[in-house]
Amino acid sequence: MNVQNTSDMKGAKPTHTADITNVEDSLALQQEQAKYDDDFATNTAMSNTLLTPRFYTTDFDELDAIDVSPVREDWDKLIAQMVSDPNKGHFKKNEDWDHVDWENMEPQLKKEFIDFLISSCTAEFSGCVLYKEMKRRGNNDDIVQLFQLMARDEARHAGFINDALREAGLRVNLGFLTQSKKYTYFRPKFIYYATYLSEKIGYARYITIFRHLEAHPEHRFHPIFKWFQEWCNDEFSHGEAFALLMKTDPKLTSGRNVLWIKFFLTAVYATMYVRDHQRPAFHEALGVDPDWYAHEVFTKTSKLSEQIFPITLDIEHPRWQPTLERLQRANVAIAEGKEAGGLGGKLKAWANSAKAALCFAQLYTIPAHKHRVPESTRLEPVY
Amino acid sequence: MGILTREIERAPCTVEISHKFESLHAHVRFNNGAVIYPGDEVTVQGPEIMAPFGEIVSEDREAIIVRASKLEQLWTRMTGDLEVMELCEFSFSEEVRL
Repeated sequence: MNVQNTSDMKGAKPTHTADITNVEDSLALQQEQAKYDDDFATNTAMSNTLLTPRFYTTDFDELDAIDVSPVREDWDKLIAQMVSDPNKGHFKKNEDWDHVDWENMEPQLKKEFIDFLISSCTAEFSGCVLYKEMKRRGNNDDIVQLFQLMARDEARHAGFINDALREAGLRVNLGFLTQSKKYTYFRPKFIYYATYLSEKIGYARYITIFRHLEAHPEHRFHPIFKWFQEWCNDEFSHGEAFALLMKTDPKLTSGRNVLWIKFFLTAVYATMYVRDHQRPAFHEALGVDPDWYAHEVFTKTSKLSEQIFPITLDIEHPRWQPTLERLQRANVAIAEGKEAGGLGGKLKAWANSAKAALCFAQLYTIPAHKHRVPESTRLEPVY
Repeated sequence: MGILTREIERAPCTVEISHKFESLHAHVRFNNGAVIYPGDEVTVQGPEIMAPFGEIVSEDREAIIVRASKLEQLWTRMTGDLEVMELCEFSFSEEVRL
């Protein structure tokens, strides 16, 4: 069943909230949509998916102490570009949004693809929660403005994915807010390293799929992939902002912190490798070999991260690929052990956790490439 | 705040949920300026808030903040960092095999 838009509703009233200019129309449309929603949910037993984002705190005083003056020129340009909001209106379904035949989609592919959408939606959502919190708790105008802009983009992406999920008959439940939640803590520099890499690798992941599907449109089994190019430009700008933030304090990218940077690079690459191998049908449908994809994404991310990190991982090292493969096998075995339960299962899970830790150490100790970081940090998306 | 004891605090808050196409977001704002520290636990009182698609719902509620003990706070500061990988978009799926 296709519920991608509100075109089933009769009349000349606006059918998209983005087209509305007055309050009455807005209310009327919302009521109509709510009715439509509820009917649809009842008729199809729409499944509920509870989003479970995590909640974080950090050292907000440290965040406020950031002074962007050393990178002021680049900073102002980047912020101006984000304020101009080039992607406003992009995340709107148009005639390019083809009909999706959810009912006849191969069940395993459907399962993996929905998992992909839900995890992407949760990630965007969590990013939004984190950025908004930083925006609210901060007192530094530059920082507050940046986080506000990034929260805007993340909420927009989450809304777009949510719509694709609705089409698949999944209703996202935001009821987590009334559940008890514990706030965990990240040091600001860990947020910079992790979110910088996450945004840049996100860009590399989206653009690699986009370019691949441009060349092989027969593998584009869902229209959402057509939106990936502009989408990943948002990720790109967010990464640029974090790069500039790190540039304001040379200590963040030198000395002992280089060991942390290596840790994050290794952890992010390894996590991506392991996670992607959990979705074989998804990658097969896209016509993408996950090993090729990982290598391609790592290459792009490494190239990009040279803008700010003084090292890149040696992904051509003879130990790299085989160790990743062992890590992936250990990860599957841990899950099998946990599933089996009992003493045998526990032992299997423990043994393989130790194996996974060893694999990680083997990846971490591969000597990294060192290089000089350029004076000017700013890059443009060119892939 | 005690070394081992937790304290409970009540705070008025506003919950905003947007379930619109152009923005999916949800936030809790404490209206008395309450600040959350590492390890604190927050529960918004009352029934689950659901925003129908296309709507933004904003409700005033009361939140119960269970303040972490000094020890818990220290522990969260020390170990929280290990969970930082959650920030990566591809690391959310818990399932190893789907």
